[in-house]
Amino acid sequence: MRQRSLIAITAALAAGALTLTACGSRDEDGGSSDSGNGGTTVVIGVDAPLTGDLSALGLGIKNSVDLAAKTANEKKYVEGITFKIEALDDQGQASVGQQNATKLVANDDVLGVVGPLNSSVGESMQKVFDSAKLVEVSPANTNPALTQGVNWQTEKVRPYKSYFRTATTDAIQGPFAAQYVYNDAKKKKVFVIDDKKTYGAGLASTFTEEFKKLGGKVVGTEHINPESKDFSAVATKVKNSGADVVYYGGEYPQAGPLSKQIKEAGAKIPLVGGDGIYSADFIKLAGAAGTGDLATSVGAPVEDLPSAKEFVANYEKAGYKEAYEAYGGYSYDSAWAIIEAVKKVVEDNDGKLPDDARAKVVDAMQNVSFDGVTGKVSFDEFGDATNKQLTVYSVKDGDWGTVKSGTFTG
Amino acid sequence: MSGIGPVEPGEGTRAQDASPPPRPRREALARLYGRHRGAALATLLAVAVLAGGGHLYATRPRPAPPPTPPHPTQVTLIRYLKPQANSRGTASRSFAFDVEMIVESDLPVTVTRISQPYAGLSVVSSPRTPFRTKAGSPRKITITMQVAECGKVPRNVGLPFLDVTLRNTRAIQAHSFILGPRYARDLSRGLEVACSNDFG
Repeated sequence: MRQRSLIAITAALAAGALTLTACGSRDEDGGSSDSGNGGTTVVIGVDAPLTGDLSALGLGIKNSVDLAAKTANEKKYVEGITFKIEALDDQGQASVGQQNATKLVANDDVLGVVGPLNSSVGESMQKVFDSAKLVEVSPANTNPALTQGVNWQTEKVRPYKSYFRTATTDAIQGPFAAQYVYNDAKKKKVFVIDDKKTYGAGLASTFTEEFKKLGGKVVGTEHINPESKDFSAVATKVKNSGADVVYYGGEYPQAGPLSKQIKEAGAKIPLVGGDGIYSADFIKLAGAAGTGDLATSVGAPVEDLPSAKEFVANYEKAGYKEAYEAYGGYSYDSAWAIIEAVKKVVEDNDGKLPDDARAKVVDAMQNVSFDGVTGKVSFDEFGDATNKQLTVYSVKDGDWGTVKSGTFTG
Repeated sequence: MSGIGPVEPGEGTRAQDASPPPRPRREALARLYGRHRGAALATLLAVAVLAGGGHLYATRPRPAPPPTPPHPTQVTLIRYLKPQANSRGTASRSFAFDVEMIVESDLPVTVTRISQPYAGLSVVSSPRTPFRTKAGSPRKITITMQVAECGKVPRNVGLPFLDVTLRNTRAIQAHSFILGPRYARDLSRGLEVACSNDFG
C-alpha cells in the first residue's frame, strides 16, 4: 500500500512534469520538410548569363530567384500553388536570349520571368514576352529606353506593358556618377570609353551629358571591342590625353583588364563605371592597380539594409556555391513580385488559377506593393521601380567599399 | 510446454521466506514516511509546483528584443515641392524653394546639415539645422540659395543633388537627395535670374 502510494505520487509528478514541458514548448514550431504546396505548379522562368564571362552575376540572379521560390513554398505563401524555377542561359547574347524567351513562352506553366542581366538581351526578349502576355521583371536592365521608349529624353512612352524592372535606370545612374566624379572626386577632364552595346553606350552617354553640363571637359572618346582583351592602344590614348579620370560604359570582363592596362601605360588615374563593373571579378581582373577605381550601382548596399538581413542569412543557409552578387536582392524582389501577382490572381479567382492567368498576372504586377529585400517594391506607370537608390563604391583593400549614396525622389 | 522459461517459485521457496534480511534503514524510512505522510506529500507537491513554475517561467514566451533601428537614410525621404514666390532677386542674388521631409520610422531623425555641391553657392535652411522630424508628420523645409560667385555654378545640370546629413540613434549618414527634373529646372531658373547682371 505504501509502495503503491509512492508509485502514484511519482507517476503524478512525472505526468505533471511532462505536461508542463509540453506547455513550455508549445510555441516551438516543429516545421515541415515538405516544401511542396500541392495543387498547381507555377514556373518562374529565369534568363541570365549562367556561363561565360558574366556568369558570376547571372548565377547570383538564378540562385536568388530559386531562394524566393523555395521560401514561398515553405511558407505556403500562395494556397494551392507550388513554385518552381526554370533557368536558361543566355550567355549574355541577345539572340540566345530571344530563343530562351520563345522557349519560356511555350511552357504553359511559366507565369513570369526574372531577367535578363543585359539591357541588349532584354531588348531582344521584350516583344516575345509581350505578345504572349507573359510578365518579365529584370533585376538588372538599366537602359532607360526599355521602359520609357527610345525617345525617353524628350517624350516618355512605355513600349511594353508586360516589362518591369526593379533596377534604377541609367537616366539617373549616369548623371549620379557625373555629379560624384565632378563635385566630390574633383575630376574635371574625362576620357570616355564604351563597348558599343545598349547598356554601355547608353550609360556613357548619360554620364557624358551631365559631366559637360557641370563644366567638365571630355578630352577623348573611344569604343572598344568587347571580344578583345588587349586595350593597349586605347590605354596609350588615355595616357596622352591628359585626362584625370576615365569613364567606362560596359561590363567588368573588359573593364578589369582595361583599368589594368591604362595604369600600365602610365596613366595613374581612376576608372569609373556603372553597375556593370560592380563585381568582385572586376577587382580580380584589375589587380592591385584597381585600387581607387569607382563604380556606381543601383540600389543601396544589400548588407546595409535591415530588410535584407533575412535574405542574406537564408542565402547563406541555402548553401549556394556562388555569391548573390550585385543583383541578388533585386532578383529575389523581382521573383517575389511575380509571386505576389500570382497570389493576387489566385485569390481573386476563388483560389484557382484562371484560364487567362498570364494576362491577369501582368495586370496584377502593376499594382504589386510589398516590403522587399531592397526596400519597398512597387512599379510606376512605365514599369520602373519606384525605389530609386544609388550608391558609389570604391575599390579599397581588395574590396568594394561604399563612398556615397543617393536617392532619386523626383 | 517446451519447458523453457522461468520456473515459478513454490510456496516457502522465496529467499525472503527462508531468511528475511534485516532492512532497518528502509523500514525506518517507511516508518518516518508513515508518521509524516501528510507533510511529505505536501513537500513533494510544493517541489513539483515550484519546478513546474520555474520551468514555465524559464520557457515563457518572451517579447523579441527590440529590432536594431534602421539607418536614417533608409527611413528618410526629401521631396521637392516648389520655388518660393517673390524669393528671387538679382540684388540679393538669392532664391528659395520648399522641400518636404518625411520620416518612415518610429524613431525621429535629426537633420544636422544641408548643403549642395557647387562652389560659388551656399545654402541656408529654415528651420536652421539641426532640427528633428518625427514619423507621421511631414516637415516643410525652406532652402535659400545664396550665389557667391556666378562663374562657379553650373547653370543647366540634369540631376542636381541636395546633400543632407541625417542622424538617429543608429548612425550619422551623409546622403544625396536627387530631387528630380522639376528641381533641376527651378534651380537653373533661380541661378539664371540671380546671375543675370553677370557679376561674380
